[in-house]
Amino acid sequence: MIKQLLTGLALSAGTLAAVSPAFADYPERNVEGVIQWGAGGATDNVARSLTPHVEEALGTSIVLNNRPGGTGVIGMNTVMQKPANGYTVLYGAENPQLYPIMGLADFDYSAMTPINVIGQGLVVIAAPADKDWQNFGDLLDYAHEHPGELRMGGTGAGGLPSTVLAMVNSVDSLDVRNVTFGGDGPGITAMLGGHIDFMPLSLAAAQQHIASGRLKGLAVLTKASIEELPDTPPITDALPQIESYLPWGPFWAVAVRKDTPEEIVATLSDAYRKGVAHEDFQRFLAENGGKALNLQGEEAEQFLERWQSVTAWALQKAGSAKVSPEEVGIPKP
Amino acid sequence: MADSISYFLMAWLDPSLLMLTAIGTLAGIYVGAIPGLSVTMATSILISFTFAWDVNDALALIVGIYTGGVYGGSRTAILLNIPGAPSSVATSFDGYPLAQQGEAGQAIGLSTVMSVIGGLLGTLVLASVAPYLSDMALQFAPRDYFLIAVLGLLLVGSLAAESLSRGIFAASLGAVIGLVGLDPVTADPRFTMGSMQLMGGIHYVVVMIGMFGVAEAFFQLHQLNVKPVRQNVDKIIPSLHLVLKFLPLSIRTSLIGVIVGALPGTGGDIASLFAYDHAKRSVKNPSKPFGQGAYEGLVAPETANNAAVGGAYVPMLTLGMPGDAVTAIIIGALVIHGLNPGPMLMIQTPHIFWFTVGNLALANIFLLIFGLTGIKVFAKVVELPKAILIPLILVLCVVGSYSLNSSMTEVYWMLGFGLLGYFMKIFRFQMGPVILGVILGPLMDETYRQAMSSVGDDSGAFLLALVTNPLSLILSMAVVLLLLSNTPLKAMLARRKTR
Repeated sequence: MIKQLLTGLALSAGTLAAVSPAFADYPERNVEGVIQWGAGGATDNVARSLTPHVEEALGTSIVLNNRPGGTGVIGMNTVMQKPANGYTVLYGAENPQLYPIMGLADFDYSAMTPINVIGQGLVVIAAPADKDWQNFGDLLDYAHEHPGELRMGGTGAGGLPSTVLAMVNSVDSLDVRNVTFGGDGPGITAMLGGHIDFMPLSLAAAQQHIASGRLKGLAVLTKASIEELPDTPPITDALPQIESYLPWGPFWAVAVRKDTPEEIVATLSDAYRKGVAHEDFQRFLAENGGKALNLQGEEAEQFLERWQSVTAWALQKAGSAKVSPEEVGIPKP
Repeated sequence: MADSISYFLMAWLDPSLLMLTAIGTLAGIYVGAIPGLSVTMATSILISFTFAWDVNDALALIVGIYTGGVYGGSRTAILLNIPGAPSSVATSFDGYPLAQQGEAGQAIGLSTVMSVIGGLLGTLVLASVAPYLSDMALQFAPRDYFLIAVLGLLLVGSLAAESLSRGIFAASLGAVIGLVGLDPVTADPRFTMGSMQLMGGIHYVVVMIGMFGVAEAFFQLHQLNVKPVRQNVDKIIPSLHLVLKFLPLSIRTSLIGVIVGALPGTGGDIASLFAYDHAKRSVKNPSKPFGQGAYEGLVAPETANNAAVGGAYVPMLTLGMPGDAVTAIIIGALVIHGLNPGPMLMIQTPHIFWFTVGNLALANIFLLIFGLTGIKVFAKVVELPKAILIPLILVLCVVGSYSLNSSMTEVYWMLGFGLLGYFMKIFRFQMGPVILGVILGPLMDETYRQAMSSVGDDSGAFLLALVTNPLSLILSMAVVLLLLSNTPLKAMLARRKTR
């Protein structure tokens, strides 16, 4: 019995010794991809559409697992607890960049090494089609005359609608009732029933409803109008001062643990660059209201830093940040 | 019209689609029967294999899994008092007593036929009035969902068998468990004790597996030496007479199922509890007293949860909005397949609607076939010696809770709730109200705050809206009536009348 046990130990120790210096052979087994949002959501869809093309370039399978909960804190924490050997990658959205100022966690993407910033989602401010407003300016005028009366659909503190509201409020005043829903879907459902008056949404979620004529787009969060919604004016038409925040939108990124060996980061970055560039995935992003970015290395880090600084300070200016960005070392834009 | 019929028959005439629907239904039944491996999980695992397939193939398989999975949960609920999914919790109330009386075979046979009737009625509603039903569902404002949650919590009156105060305690405990995690509005942690693992809250399936699975397994250790009941498996297919007798009830509970299923935000789990309560209130002379093996108590939840499948497809196909957790995953899959699930789905890809309707009808026929075969073997599970059965149940519970999130945290929680449930059982607490609280607590929290913030946090305006809007008024009246009929007030009023 003891002999067997010892042989087993010796064997496993032998395998360990054989595996550790073999980074050059990466990847020699399946990679686990942890998605920080649930099945069927935008981040999940992006991850599942992208991964087959990355697998092709990487030459191994990537097994995807959803670890939702706590605005994505749980999924990110899972990856940060795993060994830094490149066999666990995080598929994340923009949320980690707001964890420090929302007091959710003391880490953000700077605690990891970004492999790829995949793309950015476009944002549209939508309202039920039967409203009299033609654009965001009309809505602002109405809100100025009737402060605190309009019902805005939100997704909770740090969510996309509350961030957009904070940006608007840092250059103008938009006093609304913030009604919180579990996500874009439940918010749109409430808007279709006339239970809320407007909601900032990802283009992916709103596009079909605007096309069907049940909702209308009041503004897109860009400097110029976009191909997908040619009739919806850019938000700068109504609020020119907001331009300094633009282009702004939720994004998706892939990251690994900070102390992952450089060669492995290089292999992964290369595979993800090819995956994101694949024409099928590019088409998927375009059809789902996203703009491909495909940023690696320093470029990715710069993007993440700029996004964090712009968003965190807008939230701070509107009084929505729980911890001042200054306190957690986020520089002013 | 001719197009609709040809789309409807697509899955019936194409051999490979026919096969996929059959395989999906069979897989759904058996995965759904494993406690913890819920239909949501089965769908999300199997759906990832279909991304490279043709869309129709994928849809056919998913419809099968969904239909089979919702039904499968009733198997273990009846045989072992361990519901395979939250929507089968109500099935265990009368199903398990039947198994203990040696009628497991009949109970499964009846639940199969009733599930098919519910499933077909749900499909019929989907096919005939989907656009109207979805417009109606949109009329439900946050305050109406709040009222539904209140109505649901009042079901505690029917679920707490002998002691109402124990029932209220159990439901409150459930509601508190449901509130753990990040506050949905402010993102402040609630009851997380500083633990990052708790920020995502406690999954209600974990609570269910622990309280029903592990607690039941521990509890059965008390009867380790009791000889298992011999099951009578001669007559498993219910007689036509019996089916016809329950037809009026099954139509009513199917309607409950399809409407609750069509409301985005509520699904088969709540529908089956509502249906059980309805049966308990409306059936004056059940075959046996409710809670002791009434056939009516089996018919109601089984028809409702399968009818809710058709209901959940209503907002999905007409608006691209999920009716429940499974349809949310299907929508994600459609996106990856390059379709645009949304209000334009029926215009851009008109075949999807009738194809799905046809598929649902087909899956229900397979459900009847697969559900009625193999019952004899299945019913014998109850006759297994406890020393084999109980470890088996515990293993399944661990596998089920681990696979929820591929993490051990869920397993520890599940075991903790198992222990808690065991002691609650010893002190004669019911487990049903706990699950009710876990499901409805968060719904009530979310919708109450939505309703309040919509009126600018003005309690007066909130209360006024509850009686000025016709839909809310009906629901408010239902709440008041239910309260009155559950309390001594009813007796007092009746006394005054006779005087």
